[in-house]
Amino acid sequence: MTARGADLDDDLVVRAGRGDPAAIRDLVARKLPRVLSLARRMLGDPGDAEDVAQETFFKAWKFAPRWRPGQARFDTWLHRVALNLCYDRLRRRVRATHELPDLADPGPGPDRNLQARDVGRRVDASLRALPPRQREAIVLCHYQELTNIEAAAAMRVSVEALESLLSRARRSLRTALADLGAAP
Amino acid sequence: MNPDRFEGLAGAFGADLDRWPARERQAALRLAAARPDLTGPVLGEAARLDRILGGAPSPSPSRELFQHIVQAAPRPPAPPAPWRWLAGLGLAAGLAGAAAAGVVAGVVVAPAALPSAHAQAASDPGEEAAALLREPSDFGEG
Repeated sequence: MTARGADLDDDLVVRAGRGDPAAIRDLVARKLPRVLSLARRMLGDPGDAEDVAQETFFKAWKFAPRWRPGQARFDTWLHRVALNLCYDRLRRRVRATHELPDLADPGPGPDRNLQARDVGRRVDASLRALPPRQREAIVLCHYQELTNIEAAAAMRVSVEALESLLSRARRSLRTALADLGAAP
Repeated sequence: MNPDRFEGLAGAFGADLDRWPARERQAALRLAAARPDLTGPVLGEAARLDRILGGAPSPSPSRELFQHIVQAAPRPPAPPAPWRWLAGLGLAAGLAGAAAAGVVAGVVVAPAALPSAHAQAASDPGEEAAALLREPSDFGEG
């Protein structure tokens, strides 16, 4: 995210904290797609993702009146909140099933003519098959387009640790999606 | 930067050098310019995975979700509600009535027994009540 984008976020959060309806709508329009996308890719389930997006904003609304511009990037803070909520749900799933969801890759064989929707499903399934921290790294860097410094901050790891997570994640994805042309 | 490090970065951050750590980006660009024979295939392989990952579309929020979140947002400070103004008016009227009753009682029950100064003091609550009648402005407009 650019510095200008971060400044705009700060302005919107401060005004939203005062109950400014226009700022509230702008902020939701800017951030909801990102939060929903993050939750959807972390959790897979659309309903769970909507719940997490909603809870993330409820927390943001509680916090907004006390937001101090310049202390942290709101976008990174919001990602951290959403990720914590995602992990809460993933932990609950583990408790319910005694293991992380190990979704079988429903992908078709290499000879099938894949539609775009099928590619999306294959990618989603491959993402869900990754260990959660690797999935988080890919989602933050590739889909949420956080810089490596922002992603490392959101994950509370060093940039070097982030790089290691990304390397392992991409290696697994390349193998899982080889039939789509991910590997030479 | 050596080719191994270049390959490691491409394997982690993908083919878009803008996503690579800033402190290594310039060196990577120099190596890419100097040795396209080595770096080209590495970036090509990373780009293939980037493209496939990009094939998973992002979900769009529903209107219902948007509205639900907006409706839960902080509210601006409430303007004075009419009932609050009326409640203030009622309180003031009550105090004024009580004060007036006190004055009447003072006059009727023991007019002769009270020094004139006390009779004067008994009117003070009335002024207080009158002040309260002016109070509604304290509830403010905004």
